[in-house]
Amino acid sequence: MARRTLVLAALLAGLLAAAIASMALGAVKIPIGHVVEILFGGGGNRTEHQIVDTLRLPRTVEAMLVGAALGVAGALLQGALGNPLASPDVIGVTPGAGFGAILIIILLPGSIALLPLAALFFGLLAATLVFLFAWSGRNRGSTGKVVLAGIAMLSLFTAGTTSLLAAFPERAPSAIFFIAGGLTSSGWENLETVWPYLLAGALVAVTLVRPLDRLALGDDVAASLGSRPRLIRLGAGVAAALLAAASAAIAGLLGFLGLVVPHVVRMAGGTSSHTFVVPASALGGAALLTAADTLARTLRAPIEMPVGPFMVILGVPLFLWLLRKAV
Amino acid sequence: MAAAAQPGPAAAALLRARGVEIALGGTPILRGADLDLEAGELVAIVGPNGAGKSTLVRAISGLLHPDAGSVLWSGREMREMRGRELARARAFVPQRMPVPAGISVREAVTIGRSARLRPLTRLTGDDHEGIERALQRAGVERFAERALSTLSGGELQRVQVAIGLAQEAPVLIADEPTSQLDLGATVGIATLFRELVGDGLTALVVVHDLALAAAVADRVVVVAEGRTVAAGRPLEVLTPARLAETWGADARLVERDGRTALHVAWLGQEPNTDVRAP
Repeated sequence: MARRTLVLAALLAGLLAAAIASMALGAVKIPIGHVVEILFGGGGNRTEHQIVDTLRLPRTVEAMLVGAALGVAGALLQGALGNPLASPDVIGVTPGAGFGAILIIILLPGSIALLPLAALFFGLLAATLVFLFAWSGRNRGSTGKVVLAGIAMLSLFTAGTTSLLAAFPERAPSAIFFIAGGLTSSGWENLETVWPYLLAGALVAVTLVRPLDRLALGDDVAASLGSRPRLIRLGAGVAAALLAAASAAIAGLLGFLGLVVPHVVRMAGGTSSHTFVVPASALGGAALLTAADTLARTLRAPIEMPVGPFMVILGVPLFLWLLRKAV
Repeated sequence: MAAAAQPGPAAAALLRARGVEIALGGTPILRGADLDLEAGELVAIVGPNGAGKSTLVRAISGLLHPDAGSVLWSGREMREMRGRELARARAFVPQRMPVPAGISVREAVTIGRSARLRPLTRLTGDDHEGIERALQRAGVERFAERALSTLSGGELQRVQVAIGLAQEAPVLIADEPTSQLDLGATVGIATLFRELVGDGLTALVVVHDLALAAAVADRVVVVAEGRTVAAGRPLEVLTPARLAETWGADARLVERDGRTALHVAWLGQEPNTDVRAP
């Protein structure tokens, strides 16, 4: 019990540190004291105010929300499908969102404002198709069916994306940043579009914490306790699809985060209890993405490295180190 | 018969199932099974492989939805019961549950207790007492802080029973609780079920081993080809003629001084010979 509290406290401290750094660091360095004052409405000079309010605060909030959303989406899917490989990629959301975004970038480059909506729409469409197929015929709603339908949809949408890129190679460079995954300094615009989806996903996630703990003891025990295993899996799929599609609309394809963060917090906390794993994945995902985004845009400033690959390069050694220590 | 604190009409049986039919993937598994449970009895379901024993207990527990027939829990039609209401009527203990990493025995039993909670509400003092009671009744409080992944088969089976007990339902249903256990652990589980029934619980247990069924059960129900074909006191039902007809074996159930044994002519019969015993 104490170990879990310690891990949660460490993650929270890491998140706070990352958030402050994210707002202090950049082309213009702002002293931490000024950042705190500006956040509480005072201090700093005009330029500092403007940088924090219009650029860094929205970007930091986006990083925290997207990181938390992807962490929770991964935790929900891994719990609901009882499969350590489950992530928003596996139920088709990330590849679907990728296809939607590339469609706009390549076919409608003049209407780039539609990108978040297209990513959201195709991400949810892919997840809907996965669940429609998984919920039909024999053995409907079983883990195997969900995973296999998801892999099929992943392949289909990835093929669609690749075909688009191959057909319009001259426009492919502008798609790279989205595919790699990364945040932009575009103010509150994206969040204003997708916040209802993030909120809905988060609310469903909260109601699923206890049912997922029941499901961890098997479908039979969950049913004995009055839950409906297939309904829990469906709910987790819907919540994860909402969270991951909204994330992709903001920050492109960062599927790795949703796969790895829940594993890291389980290993660190020494438990797979969802009352710990779900909130810890939210904090851990938020901290990781905020820290990675800060590093990605400051290490070689003014060049911004795409945060997706950067995060993978940072995250994999940590993951492997924990994996070696885990039983 | 022990008295059980039981809500609902006093006259109604705890469970009354009639004409239960289930087809799985188009294959009929249950073709009209009946089952009654009275408060305070231990009933064993016996039958050959593939007869539909597991399907029957899963159907009357609400884990599968019957295609036809009626299942009444204390007079209430099961179809009309919501999850939490059903969880208060019966607990189902599967053969072997998956073992999630880093979950202790106490945490697992706490998850069992959550059956009594409304969504998003917290455990009360009552619930904590219920968890302690379940740990103690199942005899697992000694290793309550250990992780599930460190337990032996017999210990894990007791924990599964504890999870069911935490629901505090009047009926505990178990699907072959001893099928993967060694002799000592089997004796332990058999004794545990007898003690629980002695304390007022009602138990329905699928048992593969007929000698074990005869020793622990007040009543056995024989399932064959998707139907309940006989029910009653073990030695009266499991006659050599019944063993020959239902299991196709030349065998005799013997009880002496509280010990039961199945005497089997393992190699004794020619094929196609009528094995009906005298």
